[in-house]
Amino acid sequence: MQRGVFLVGAGCALIVAATMAHSAGAPPDVSGTYWATSYSAKLNLVGGGDPPLNAAGKAAYDKIKARLKDGSLLDKARRVCVPDGVPRVMASPYPFEIFQTPEGQVTMLFEMNHQVRVIVMDRPLPKLEGLITDLRYNGHSVGHFEGDTLVVESIGFNDRTFLDATGLPHGESMSTIERIKRTGNQLEDVITIHDPEFYTRDFQVRFVYQLRIDVRLEDYACNDTHRDLSSVRGVQRR
Amino acid sequence: MIWKNEADPLPKGSRGAFALVALCALLATDARGADTGAPVGLNLSAPGVAWAGFVAPRESNYQVARTFNDYSNPSTGIGPVTDDPAHPFVNNEVAREMNIQPTYRVADLTNEAGKNLMPWVQEALKKQNELVLRGRNGESREARCWETGVPAFHLNPGPMHIIQTPKEVVLFLAGRSRHIWLNVPHSRNPKPSWYGESVGHYEGDTLVVDTIGFNDKTFVDSYRTPHTDKLHVVERFRLIDNGNTLEVAFTVDDPGAFYKPWSGTRNRHRVVNPNNRLAESACAEANDDYFNIGLEPVPTTEKPAF
Repeated sequence: MQRGVFLVGAGCALIVAATMAHSAGAPPDVSGTYWATSYSAKLNLVGGGDPPLNAAGKAAYDKIKARLKDGSLLDKARRVCVPDGVPRVMASPYPFEIFQTPEGQVTMLFEMNHQVRVIVMDRPLPKLEGLITDLRYNGHSVGHFEGDTLVVESIGFNDRTFLDATGLPHGESMSTIERIKRTGNQLEDVITIHDPEFYTRDFQVRFVYQLRIDVRLEDYACNDTHRDLSSVRGVQRR
Repeated sequence: MIWKNEADPLPKGSRGAFALVALCALLATDARGADTGAPVGLNLSAPGVAWAGFVAPRESNYQVARTFNDYSNPSTGIGPVTDDPAHPFVNNEVAREMNIQPTYRVADLTNEAGKNLMPWVQEALKKQNELVLRGRNGESREARCWETGVPAFHLNPGPMHIIQTPKEVVLFLAGRSRHIWLNVPHSRNPKPSWYGESVGHYEGDTLVVDTIGFNDKTFVDSYRTPHTDKLHVVERFRLIDNGNTLEVAFTVDDPGAFYKPWSGTRNRHRVVNPNNRLAESACAEANDDYFNIGLEPVPTTEKPAF
């Protein structure tokens, strides 16, 4: 019995020691409230150029643009505030907040339409076949840290979103990999988009945000006047 | 939709070991306390834990079904607006339980809670009652995708997820979210908003939240009882029933709408499931007035800001 207690005690000491050690080399802190300083309705590719649409992608994009123009298709993310999808949500000119809690989860909360992204840490990416009845606007995400970088893989997107505000299309088999890293007061998210249904190759976009300890996320309702976006370059009132 | 309470995943024999691990975890948490700063008096956030406003009873139970999407009365004092006994409200759960038709809400304007309403509030509810009795506009604001305000935020029966940090508590429910800023005073002139400005602190194991700075566009309940921007709500969150129930007891004061403050409670039940994650919501997707029954339109932006 005594031996048992000793073993438990020793085990306990080990766990505490391990936690303290973990604390010293704790996962990098990417939590906080962030706000972009610029906005673009159109995706800006890393390395420049146009999105590498294939023939099906080009046809889909042309059709979406024509329908948005004649009003037969609504940009529902703006009109009735359904979620934006990835990467468009990351382009938001409104602030967002990252929480590294509860344990095993990174949670993103966006001021715009209080959208959420839940990133389950250190789990394998689910297979698309298993998600086919649960496709989501912002997809399903898992993450892990590689050094200072939070790597987020997402899959299981529905096809009701656009990649950007111009109506750039994607298919349901799209997957994304994000590399999110904080340097000083700046956070960057480099997103690789993989969608062979509509694109000839993978391509990357990069978003940069400032850490804003002075900013609190505000309430957001679809038909409201919201916070002043004049500090965000590229926001043009429509 | 029904949320079943998941069975405790721990086999019985492992409980002792679990207690030891829990003790270790406590020590370990202490060891890294410097990371997290302020102590948390009430821990509502853990992996896989959510707080459901309604858990379907195993056995048929009318009284439980009644609590599906309503406040409970306080033990003393004036309570929330309730249904007119001449037109009893039958929620979807009660309807299922009793095998009868569900109904829409008609407010009782003659009981103590009804008499506590100022004339303009009475008038607004009278109009709403008439609409409902004509078969119009029966759905709650929430069902039409509008922001709910406080305390109506608590009415949704779905699972509430909570995030706690030393600086803030965030409540997530049915695609909506509310921020509670800890250990700070109210701003001098909070910008009027849907959920107001909530500041909170722990009193022992109770989280006390004080909210002002509301706009006047929400209703305080599902009867569509209006309020003014003078609304002031105090909520007390605490665990009862061995930690299995989150009790939210609240008091509502609005000198522009109610003669006296009134109060109510809304209990939520702990549900544990490792796959139980906070999920996105797309309320306005396919949510039109298909049957042409005068439903309020979902919030729509005619001219987006960008």
